[in-house]
Amino acid sequence: MFSDIARKFCQVFNLFCCVHVFHAHVGQLHYVVGPSMFPTLNATGDLLFLERFSVRFQKVNVGDIVVACSPENPRVLICKRVLAVEGDSISVLPEPYAQDAAKNVLIPKGHVWLQGDDPYKSRDSRHYGPVPYALLQGKVQLRIWPPHSWKKF
Amino acid sequence: MFPTLNATGDLLFLERFSVRFQKVNVGDIVVACSPENPRVLICKRVLAVEGDSISVLPEPYAQDAAKNVLIPKGHVWLQGDDPYKSRDSRHYGPVPYALLQGKVQLRIWPPHSWKKF
Repeated sequence: MFSDIARKFCQVFNLFCCVHVFHAHVGQLHYVVGPSMFPTLNATGDLLFLERFSVRFQKVNVGDIVVACSPENPRVLICKRVLAVEGDSISVLPEPYAQDAAKNVLIPKGHVWLQGDDPYKSRDSRHYGPVPYALLQGKVQLRIWPPHSWKKF
Repeated sequence: MFPTLNATGDLLFLERFSVRFQKVNVGDIVVACSPENPRVLICKRVLAVEGDSISVLPEPYAQDAAKNVLIPKGHVWLQGDDPYKSRDSRHYGPVPYALLQGKVQLRIWPPHSWKKF
């Protein structure tokens, strides 16, 4: 009887290890809620699949949607679009209304510029500056839920 | 990080609970991802946490050029123990907390300099 329990425990432990390795190194599912990426993502919530290889091998390009640790709160994940990578110069409107207040920002080495698709509701690099690349967790590839809006990004 | 750590190399044991539960304090030695190069890890001392104000000498020689820096929310100030040789927050600014990987607890190698930090 104890050998059965031990065998079951080993099977569960093996499954946990496989899931953990997949989650940490291959891909993750994230439920993303918030208005900052409207209309690309729903404000009420989407289940997204991220893959981690692009971030690990630094293949993130301008226009990709990524999930990252927030520079303001390490317990929070943010989902934004990459508008510029290191070495690029981006023209930023601090307020979406103020067209004549645009300023140029040079993205330093090892950083990216993250911005939400809805500039009026998003708190992003316009507020906290360029984000270090190492904070990126994964690149969004698929929207899985709601099922009628299944989409590959 | 001379003289705390050897320039020729030390084998250190880090623990991750302190970082995960945000129990990193001023004076701790931590290992973090470099904000300048995501493939590089850096080992520095935490001199200030979010909300603190730190007086920074951009150049160790220039005593009269000190400036006060307020550490923003979610960031820490990392600085090496050897200010003349270290490239740290004096150069790239406060570091987001989420970049921290672990807190250094033990030096295991060289064996004659075994130490608990």
